[in-house]
Amino acid sequence: MRKKISPYFIVGSIFLLVIVLSCILGLLGAGPDPEKTNSASKLMAPSMSHLMGTDNLGRDVFARVLSASKYTLLISFAGVTVALVIGTVAGMLAGYFGGIWDRIIMLLGNSVMCFPGILLALVAVAVSGPSLFNVIWALGLVFAPTFARVYRTEVIKIKGRDYILHAKILKVNPIRIMAVHIFPNAFAQIIPAIVIGLANMTLSESAMSYLGLGVQPPKASYGKILSDAQSYITAAPWLVIFPSLMLVIYILGLYFISEGIRGDK
Amino acid sequence: MKERITYILSRVLELILTLLLVSLFTFAAFSVIPGDTAQTILGPNATPEQVEILREKMGLNDPLAFRYLSWLKGAFTGNFGNSISFNSSVSSLIVSRLPVTFGLSLLALILVLVIAYPSAVISSRRPGKFWDQVFSVFGHVSFAIPPFVLSLLSVLLASKVFGYFAVGKYVSPAKDFGGYLYCLLLPAFCIAVPKIAMTFKFLRASILTEKNNDYVRTSKSRGLSDIKIMFKHILPNSNVSVITALSIVLSDLLGGSLIVEQVFNLPGLGRLLLQAIGRRDFPLLSGIVFYLATMMVIIYFLADILMNMCDPRLRRNRGEL
Amino acid sequence: MSYIDYILKVNDLSLDFGSESSKTLHDISFDLRKGEILGLIGNSGCGKTMTSLSVSGLLPKEARITSGNIIFDGKDLLKLSEKEMRNIRGKEIAMIFQEPYTALDPLKTVYKNLEEVLTEHEDLTKDERRQRITGMLRRVGFEDADIILGRYPHELSGGQRQRVLIAGACLLKPKLMIADEPTSSLDTVTSMSILELIKSLCAEFRMSVLFISHDLSVVGGICDRVIVMQSGKIVDSGNTFDLLYNPINPYTAGLLSNSRLDPKILDLKFNKPSFSSECILRVTGLSAGYESSRGFRKVRNEVIHDITFKILNGECIGLIGSSGCGKTTLTRAVSGLIKPTSGTISDMKGRLGVVFQDPVTCLNPSHTVKWHLEEPLKANHIKLAPSELIKVTRSSLEAVGLEEKILGRKPSQLSGGQRQRVAIAMCLMLSPSLIIADEPLSSLDTTSGARILDLLSKINRERNTSILLISHNLRVIRAATSYVLVMDNGRIVEDGPTLNVLSDPKSECTKKLLLAEEKLHQNPDRNQFMTE
Repeated sequence: MRKKISPYFIVGSIFLLVIVLSCILGLLGAGPDPEKTNSASKLMAPSMSHLMGTDNLGRDVFARVLSASKYTLLISFAGVTVALVIGTVAGMLAGYFGGIWDRIIMLLGNSVMCFPGILLALVAVAVSGPSLFNVIWALGLVFAPTFARVYRTEVIKIKGRDYILHAKILKVNPIRIMAVHIFPNAFAQIIPAIVIGLANMTLSESAMSYLGLGVQPPKASYGKILSDAQSYITAAPWLVIFPSLMLVIYILGLYFISEGIRGDK
Repeated sequence: MKERITYILSRVLELILTLLLVSLFTFAAFSVIPGDTAQTILGPNATPEQVEILREKMGLNDPLAFRYLSWLKGAFTGNFGNSISFNSSVSSLIVSRLPVTFGLSLLALILVLVIAYPSAVISSRRPGKFWDQVFSVFGHVSFAIPPFVLSLLSVLLASKVFGYFAVGKYVSPAKDFGGYLYCLLLPAFCIAVPKIAMTFKFLRASILTEKNNDYVRTSKSRGLSDIKIMFKHILPNSNVSVITALSIVLSDLLGGSLIVEQVFNLPGLGRLLLQAIGRRDFPLLSGIVFYLATMMVIIYFLADILMNMCDPRLRRNRGEL
Repeated sequence: MSYIDYILKVNDLSLDFGSESSKTLHDISFDLRKGEILGLIGNSGCGKTMTSLSVSGLLPKEARITSGNIIFDGKDLLKLSEKEMRNIRGKEIAMIFQEPYTALDPLKTVYKNLEEVLTEHEDLTKDERRQRITGMLRRVGFEDADIILGRYPHELSGGQRQRVLIAGACLLKPKLMIADEPTSSLDTVTSMSILELIKSLCAEFRMSVLFISHDLSVVGGICDRVIVMQSGKIVDSGNTFDLLYNPINPYTAGLLSNSRLDPKILDLKFNKPSFSSECILRVTGLSAGYESSRGFRKVRNEVIHDITFKILNGECIGLIGSSGCGKTTLTRAVSGLIKPTSGTISDMKGRLGVVFQDPVTCLNPSHTVKWHLEEPLKANHIKLAPSELIKVTRSSLEAVGLEEKILGRKPSQLSGGQRQRVAIAMCLMLSPSLIIADEPLSSLDTTSGARILDLLSKINRERNTSILLISHNLRVIRAATSYVLVMDNGRIVEDGPTLNVLSDPKSECTKKLLLAEEKLHQNPDRNQFMTE
């Protein structure tokens, strides 16, 4: 049985590659210095020397965008990892043991979920100050219940199946059942949620940066660049268009990949 | 009948427990805030004695549990005290902003239903073919654009291309209902776009799953046409999962509304929240957060009940799933 | 001159899925007379379902009819438009299928589910509809038809749902009913009642029935004539009496012997233990059940009561009873999945292996066969040297008739019969002294089922493994077991040597099961359509 590679998957991977590339370039310090201000060349339209133009402080937009890529990638991947670890363990325990544990974990999860994503992260950051670390764990915490929920549903579906009953009859250690018998089968369902989670996390983070509560200057993520650009939108639209484009490419890439993976079901 | 009552009671209990937990989180978050509230009110020139008097007056020196309980009592009666930065009570502030936030959310919800449903039905009739591809791609792109990007871009587009100058001019519904709707339309649309995409995705997937079920085959063997089967059987069965999606949409509307209110300069709850954060106005902040969370809990609760009404299989509370 | 009135004539029907190599039906020709019940028999994949779908016009989009015609009541169905076909479906041609859980819309009551048949084809008032539906529900055996109207599908049993579907199919008194494996997922007693129902409806409405099944002997009780299909071709046909008593065609004879499980033909030999054999499992006074929560309270539901029996070394013992009698609960209690409320399980010597019914869910889809075979050892902390491991694996695979190259495959790459065998091989890895087989043949067609039974007999003989065989199919029990337990309502109502119990039953329950089996596999006494 040959699996056809979905065109979605290919396009999505290309998009993702673009972002990864820009991240690498940013790390390597290619291009002009993103933090170097130059009052002489403020708000210049895209040209050969400044591929994406300059911003209100004369900084090269291209360079800024490249350097911002790494924060975007870092935050979304780290955040999703946190959410995944917490969510998977919680969902597994809730689903497998059921009963009172299930209710407790779901109750906790629901309470967290009641704070709409961004809100909780905002509050957490407002409380302990904006920093990269805080943004990551706050977002991770907010997204964990969603993963837990999806995972728990899968676990409940799987645990009644004959092969799990068989494992129980064989007296396989419960932890081994959860990790080796159930996990590989449940994980497939989570993959689309992970990819969407990456995308949503990026959206949330950029919204937070936009509101001034994400990464702090001089570091910047796409959201921060956009927030600075807001007042100049009519005068220098390129300030908004290019970062938006990068953001959209990243998220679209993730969505397309998720479609490509799910398309084979 | 007795089963129903026990079921509803247990759900209500869960509701109350969740609210209590929510209140605990809120209170805990705000009581560990660095920086002294009284100090902030009096400003940097206050003497330590003045700060201490104010603290005593505000009850900030009482034991933590006591403060929590009195805050809780206030919360359930709608009294959150007075805002530090604005000159009125927290509850009146919240109430004054409701028309905007409610209006946006409602308009956005209507847009979601009106656009997502028909397109999902059309898409699923011939999956993979022309309309499906078109709608799906549209859906993906809409989902990927962050709300504030969309808002920024649409402000740009609207003012330059369409001469739509409603940005910055907000009219209260009491004064001019038509104008109120007019200025909320574009922001509502900006909020709705990613939600439309998500609902479309959910509904389409749900319809395609239901199509594979055997009752479709049964109805076909009885001579019903595809369209009839869609409306009589497939859509009602898909609704259950869509309600889940819609409740997520509704709860997310608030997050989207935050940004949009900022860009379009609308005096809604989201704006108020941001101002409260900026000014470290904690009574206001805790009031808004608690209010929002409560709305969320109630929405999920209602959605759950709605789902149970729609699907007779879920009506009995089973211990084993 | 004899004149025979045909309702359906299929001529030279060929079907493929877009290419010559995917040809599924090859020049199928048969006819169906008015009021006749025609059986269409064959193993999975022989094309019987495709044939029925061609008649009703419900073929999947990819299917292509490349030749032939289907004349129904004088009209060529293949030439009709979709709209004309829709008029015929439900009104003149009705279909009933194998009963999976969702053949009825789960959100609608029985009444609403059936109402659409009437609203689609006829103009009746609400009262008239209600009357008709209630009347038909009574006709199919619901005495409390008024109550059933308001029930939802998930509140009915499998047999009840099938009756509702039959009621829906007969509401407009169609000329032709196509029944595709309608009883394959039901137990013997229920199957028999459904078949009786179809027979009586057919006689009353003078309806013709195309009855599709994989079990040749089942059709004996219901069909007038039979067609046998293999790989998309018709290989045998004739009246049922001849086919069942004097099968000339070797393929038909093979199907029949697989279905009858005649030990003389199939070489099924199971061990008969002697009196001095040691006991390897003793169950005394066992009671067990489940808990469920209603709101806040927990309710205890006792399913099995006071079960006592013992199994001897090398014995093959059967457990029979109709659905719901507690067989599965007993299996779970003995294998340790649920804790008994009272009673003891003692003298357990050696290890236990369990084989479940459903080949689809018995293996973990994410792991290879090799992993499956090694897992029982890991779970029991048995560490073997690599050479030992290979030896044990090889011998287990050999015992179930599978090749070594299957080790690297995943369940999705195996057939139902192969998966069932891997499940058995998994048990063998531990060299169990007892294997509990819970309805191991029920989801397989007769040929695969016979092979599995053969396999079990070899294991029993060569390794002296005891087997507790649970089945609702008395032929399986008769062929394989030397001792049998009969369960009803959670208790053992009768037990004894198999031949004794099945030929001279003492309890009501056993008598009912035997009666059902007899009626199901009965030979027809006459063919009523020799001349018209």
